Amino acid sequence: MGSLLQIVFDALALGSLYALAALGIALIFGVMRLVNFAHGDVIAFSVFALLWPSVDAVAIVFAGNLPWFLLIPFALAIGAGLSVLSEIVVFRRFRRANPATMMIASFALGFVIRYFLLMLFSSRPKSISLLPALSQPVEIFGARIPLLQLITIVVTIAVLFGLIAFLRRTRFGLEMRAAAENFTMARMLGVRANRVIMGAFALSGALAAAIALILGSQTGTANIMMGANVMLMAFIATVIGGMGSLAGAVLAGFLLGAVATVMQVILPPDARAFRDAFVYGAVILVLIFRPQGLLSARGTKERV
Amino acid sequence: MKRLIAALAATTCLTAPAMADDETIMVGFATAETGFMQAYDKPAQDAAMIRIKEINEAGGLLGKQIEVVNADTKTDRAEGAKAGLSVIDAGADMVVVSCDYDFGSPAALAAESAGLPSFFLCAESIKAGIQGVGPNSFSASVLAAVQGATMAEWSYNKKEARTFYRLLDTWTEYNKGICDGFDWMLPKLADAKLVGEDTFLNEDASIAAQITRIKALPEEPDAIMLCTMMPGAVSAIKQIRAAGINSMILNGSGVDGSYWLSAVPDLSNFYVPVQGSIYGDDPNPEVTAFNAKYKEATGGDPSTQYVYPGYVMIDVWAKAVERAGTTETSAVVAELEKMNGEPTLFGPRTFSSEIHHQNQARYLVVETNAGKPGVVDEWTISEPIPVADLMK
Repeated sequence: MGSLLQIVFDALALGSLYALAALGIALIFGVMRLVNFAHGDVIAFSVFALLWPSVDAVAIVFAGNLPWFLLIPFALAIGAGLSVLSEIVVFRRFRRANPATMMIASFALGFVIRYFLLMLFSSRPKSISLLPALSQPVEIFGARIPLLQLITIVVTIAVLFGLIAFLRRTRFGLEMRAAAENFTMARMLGVRANRVIMGAFALSGALAAAIALILGSQTGTANIMMGANVMLMAFIATVIGGMGSLAGAVLAGFLLGAVATVMQVILPPDARAFRDAFVYGAVILVLIFRPQGLLSARGTKERV
Repeated sequence: MKRLIAALAATTCLTAPAMADDETIMVGFATAETGFMQAYDKPAQDAAMIRIKEINEAGGLLGKQIEVVNADTKTDRAEGAKAGLSVIDAGADMVVVSCDYDFGSPAALAAESAGLPSFFLCAESIKAGIQGVGPNSFSASVLAAVQGATMAEWSYNKKEARTFYRLLDTWTEYNKGICDGFDWMLPKLADAKLVGEDTFLNEDASIAAQITRIKALPEEPDAIMLCTMMPGAVSAIKQIRAAGINSMILNGSGVDGSYWLSAVPDLSNFYVPVQGSIYGDDPNPEVTAFNAKYKEATGGDPSTQYVYPGYVMIDVWAKAVERAGTTETSAVVAELEKMNGEPTLFGPRTFSSEIHHQNQARYLVVETNAGKPGVVDEWTISEPIPVADLMK
């Protein structure tokens, strides 16, 4: 019983991470049909922003030493700021470009961010003790889990409810949903496009920073490639969730986390090394039976 | 035909000045000066330069000064082959190649086909040598398998470890090498038992499922053999301890260094095999003296034990050249293969015509206790790992 509960927590914690990342990608896809591949690099940037630039082996922790009530808003602001900046400097110029062009632009932007970090910090991964109080184990119904896992799950659920309330109850949320549904029509009805898109980027960037904080305190490592793996999983989650569907992205993120965790548990030792192959196999199966994704967004369907 | 001979003669004349027995001996470094391998190559190369400087100050090798020529592999395999050729063209008598087998082998193969001896700066795969390059290729470090075997035998004998758990990161050959050595040693230890095993990937954001498996055991294992490397190692160690597992953690040398300890505050019961101590407490005071020299030359302390193989490399090669009385390849290789327990600053070194790597070596054991690493013991595995087992 205890170990079953433990597995549930493991799956939820990993799924939360993927769900948060998928949400960041789906938000931007929803308003401007852009698959933002720079998202993973925004995650890495948000962690490195807590360090002082140096190429030494030992990291010089700078903002990372702030107390948590300052550290968290600081990181979120960095993520949101970088994301908004990338929209103003890069993506705004691609408003009328087709989605493939925008995707390539996002790849390029990702490289620029990564090589900027490489220049300042070198390729050597840095160690950082972020929110060390979260590394304590806690006991819940006989399962001993790291406090961080619990907080990750709680934060994700809180973010999801917060986001739902924001999208349903506020004017800005309404505009964003309208823009996601039919961008041209929304503009004609008086939705200020740039403001909505900038809002989506800010939210997406803040979500990236939240992932950065979780990953940073979980792994204790800042690595210029750290966002790549999560970004890939999140992208897959948005695809199987149904491109543009926020609820679908979240659902698929949790599903992916659960599948990866369960595979690790049930596969025999020799096959465990190929766990990801099994996970991607499951993704292919989903897409064969539901090519439009689990929950497809209304706006993305071709209309007759 | 005549033309061909003339052309051959012309090229021989052209290359002759570089190849001729000058007043100097040339060491060519085809290593990474840029890219991610630079972080691994540079420290070992700095140590090699210290040994070269020492030899030159003491009158040189065979009465000649050692000179150095560099070419950047840019952490790229194709560039590596070019870098190898470029130092060979510059007249290198010995070619030093990148730390890792995959990145160093193109240059080592270039040296091999030019009939020159080559040394991997710190590769720890059996392939870095005769088996993967050819009869003139050597590695300056110790096989990864020896690290796993050392930790298993030492913890069994000195820490009464009986139940072991094996956690393998399947990312690199190095990681697998550590676990292979552990697997080879374990059956030799009476009533030592493997109570479980699992794998993960270096880039995994979370190893919670693997940890749950450890926690599902009826009893916490005495020791966890963790076969991984940076950066995933920090993440794995942090998560194991955060889950409240306090078993001793055994590692390969890849996690040596205190630069990452801030990520896991107050880490205890954590053991790493090292060739020499960077913490100023090596049983051999000359190692501490070397550390000071290194700091003087580079402006910083050695950050890991992977500095040391560079020094050992020049040391054993220079001795072989001195004994052979020439830099001619077959004579130098023959002298190197005669070395049996050759003393160096970082333990004895042995080469044979079968293996140009260390399949048995003295290791210092560094324990990290309450976040403070320090040497607590030393251990040499009771028998060398047979080449056949290393090739599996």
